[in-house]
Amino acid sequence: MIKGYAGRILEIDLANCSFAFKPLDEAIARLYIGGKGYGTRLLYDRTPAGIDPLGPDNPLIFATGPLNGSVAPQSNRFAVVCKSPLTGGIGNATCGGSFALGMKKAGIDILIVERCAAAPIRIEIDGDRDEVLFHDAAELWGKGTYATQECLGKKQHHAVIGPAGENQVLYAGIVSNERIAGRTGVGAVMGSKRLKAVSVQGSRKLDMEDPEKFKEYTIEVRKLFKDHPVLGNSMKRFGTGAIVNTANARNILPTRNFQRGSFSEAMKISGEYLEDHELRGVKSSCIHCPVTCGRDVDVEGVGRVKGPEYETLALMGSNLEIGNLKRISEWNYLADDLGMDTISLGASLSFAMELHERGVLDAGISFGDPEGVSELIRDIGHRHGIGDDLANGTRRMSEKYGGEEFAMHVKGLELSAYDPRGSFAQGVEYATTNRGGCHVQGASMYMESVGPLTINPQNLKLKADIPVVQQNLACAINSMVLCIFTTYGIIPKAVHEMNPNSLRYRALALAFENMGPLLRTAMGMKGPPMLWFEKWLSYITGSKFSGGHLQEIGARIFNLERMYNLREGFTAADDTLPDRILHESTFEHMQSGHPLGQLLPKYYKNRGWDTQGVPTPRTLERLQIRI
Amino acid sequence: MSVTLQLTYEMSKALGVPRLELDGPETVADVVRTVESRFGDAGADFAKLTRVTAIAVNGVLVNYRRGMKTRLGEGDVVAFVKAAAGG
Repeated sequence: MIKGYAGRILEIDLANCSFAFKPLDEAIARLYIGGKGYGTRLLYDRTPAGIDPLGPDNPLIFATGPLNGSVAPQSNRFAVVCKSPLTGGIGNATCGGSFALGMKKAGIDILIVERCAAAPIRIEIDGDRDEVLFHDAAELWGKGTYATQECLGKKQHHAVIGPAGENQVLYAGIVSNERIAGRTGVGAVMGSKRLKAVSVQGSRKLDMEDPEKFKEYTIEVRKLFKDHPVLGNSMKRFGTGAIVNTANARNILPTRNFQRGSFSEAMKISGEYLEDHELRGVKSSCIHCPVTCGRDVDVEGVGRVKGPEYETLALMGSNLEIGNLKRISEWNYLADDLGMDTISLGASLSFAMELHERGVLDAGISFGDPEGVSELIRDIGHRHGIGDDLANGTRRMSEKYGGEEFAMHVKGLELSAYDPRGSFAQGVEYATTNRGGCHVQGASMYMESVGPLTINPQNLKLKADIPVVQQNLACAINSMVLCIFTTYGIIPKAVHEMNPNSLRYRALALAFENMGPLLRTAMGMKGPPMLWFEKWLSYITGSKFSGGHLQEIGARIFNLERMYNLREGFTAADDTLPDRILHESTFEHMQSGHPLGQLLPKYYKNRGWDTQGVPTPRTLERLQIRI
Repeated sequence: MSVTLQLTYEMSKALGVPRLELDGPETVADVVRTVESRFGDAGADFAKLTRVTAIAVNGVLVNYRRGMKTRLGEGDVVAFVKAAAGG
C-alpha cells in the first residue's frame, strides 16, 4: 500500500447491521488522492443515476486522505460525499474537528455507510480490534450536537448529527467537535439513515515514506505560517471575521438579501469588534493547526461556545441587516447545536424576510429586526410550522412562493458571502462549481477582492482562467484532506508588505492581470514540489507531487463531479447566477450585474468542454477519467 | 461636498473614532492630508497606515481609477481596505 494510507475501506450496511473491511484501491488513490476525490469516484461507480438522495440507495461516504493523521498544520479534516438532497447533484462537505484523526488511528481511509437503519442507531468502530458495534440511539435522538457528543464521551472521535439532520433539513450538516461539514445537506442524508453518530478509536500511526524530512519541513512551515501576515496575524488575531470590514469596503458584503454590498453597521459584526467586545477565553483551532481561526464567545444561558465565522457574520448579520453580534453568536450556537449550515440557513432567512417585505409570506421575521429569528431557527431545525418550508432552502421556497429572481442560490445551494458583482471570477466560480454556489471550492475572491494582491475584479481579464486554476487546486486540497486556508499562505509576506497604492504594486497587479492563458500554463507545469502541501504529500507518499500534478488531479476530480451532475440531468443552463446578481447593479458605474454570459464560453473552452458544457472525449481521456 | 470615511480597525484605534465625515476634499489625496492635519500625532499614524492599506471609493479600488488623484463626489464613501482571508 502507498505510504500515508491505512489501506482499508470499511463498508457498513445499516439495514442488517453488518460490516466488511475491504482493501483501498491503489490505482484510484493515485488518480484521486483520497477525501473528496476518492469519495466522488466511489459515489459515481456505486450508484446509478436518479437515486433518491434521502433513500437507502444513497451511500454516505466519509473519506480521509494521506495527510490526515499527520502533524501537518491544517491537515485534520475529513470529507463527506453523497448525492445532495439540497441540489440533486454531487454533494460534499469537509470538516475539521478530530474525526479524521480518529479514522486514521482506526486504520480506515474511507467509511461507506449504506442503506438505512430501522430505528435510530449509532456506530462504534474500534480499529484495533477490527470491530464495529451497533447501538440503539433512541436516547440520543432529539439531542443537540453538543449534548450528543458530551454523552458519547471523550475516549473516541465522533461525527454526529443534531435534530436538523434527524428531521432531514436539506442543509443539515455533520458535526465533529465544534466544526461542521455544513454544505449540501450531508447531515440530512445521515438522518435519513437514522444514524445519529459514528464514533471511532484506534492506536495506529501514520506510515510515511520520509518521516524525518516531513518533520523537519513541517517545523519550517509552522514558522512560515507564524510569520505570515494572514495566517499568523490577521486570522490569528481576528479570525475569519476580519473579512467583514474588507468585504464591506469593497462593496461585496451581502446586505439585505444581496440587495446591497455594504452595511452601515459592518464594524459591529466584524472580527475586530468581536476581539474587542465579545471574545472570551482562548482562540481555538483544529488539531495541529497554528492558525487558531476559531474563537470563543459567551452566549446567554449557554456559556462559552464557539463564536461565529465570517460566513455566519455576513449571512446572518449584514444579509439580515442585523448588526448585533450577541444575537448572531446566539444564532450561530443554535445552528451548530441543531446541526445546520449557517450559509444556507442565513440565505433562507433573508429570502423569507424579502418575501415578507413584498407581502408574499409572513414568517414572523423582517429585515433589521432580530425578533423572532431564534424561534424560527428552532422551528427550521425541527421542521415546525413555517420552519418546515425554510428547511427546504431557497430554491424550493421560491418554487412554492415565487421570488425566484431573488432566491440567492446556484444549483440549489445558497450563495456564500462574497457578492460576485464586485468579484467577477468568484461569480464564474459560483456558477460552475459542481456542488453549487460555494466559495471554498476555489476561493477566487482571494485573488481579486479580499487578498493582498488583487487584480481588477470588474473587467473580463483572467476571470475565466482564475476559477479553473482555483477550483482544480481546491479539489486537490479537499482530497488530501487539508483546510483551504492553507492556500492563503501562497502569496508571500513581501507582497503583503507592499504599499497597495504604489506604482510597484500596481505594476505587479497589472502584470498578473494580463497573464492570460500563461497563468494556467504556469500552474500546470510539472516540476519539483515547491509549496508545503506538495512537499508534504511527496514526503508522506514517496511520489513526487508538483503544482502541475495537483492541477491535473484537481481537474480530474472536478470533471468527474461534472460528469456526475450531467448524469443526474444537469445542463449548461444550471451554470448560472441568481437573476438579482445578473441584472441588478450594486455599483454606480455598472448598468447591470455580473457579465457571466461573456465569460462562460471561455471558461468552458479553458476546461476542455464543448459549448454545452460537456467535457469532450479528449478531455476525459487526457485526464484518465473512466466513465 | 461631504464624503464618508470607512476606517480600518487600526485606523479607528489611532484616531479614536469608528467613522469620519469630511467636508471639502476633492481627491483621495485630499482626504489623507485632511485627516493627517486634523488629528496631529494620531493623524501621522493614520497617514502611515494608509501606506499599507488599499483605498476604495464606493467599493472600487482607486488603483483602477486615478490612484490618489481620484476625484470625489458628494456622498462618496472612501474606504480603507486591509487584505483578509477566511471562509
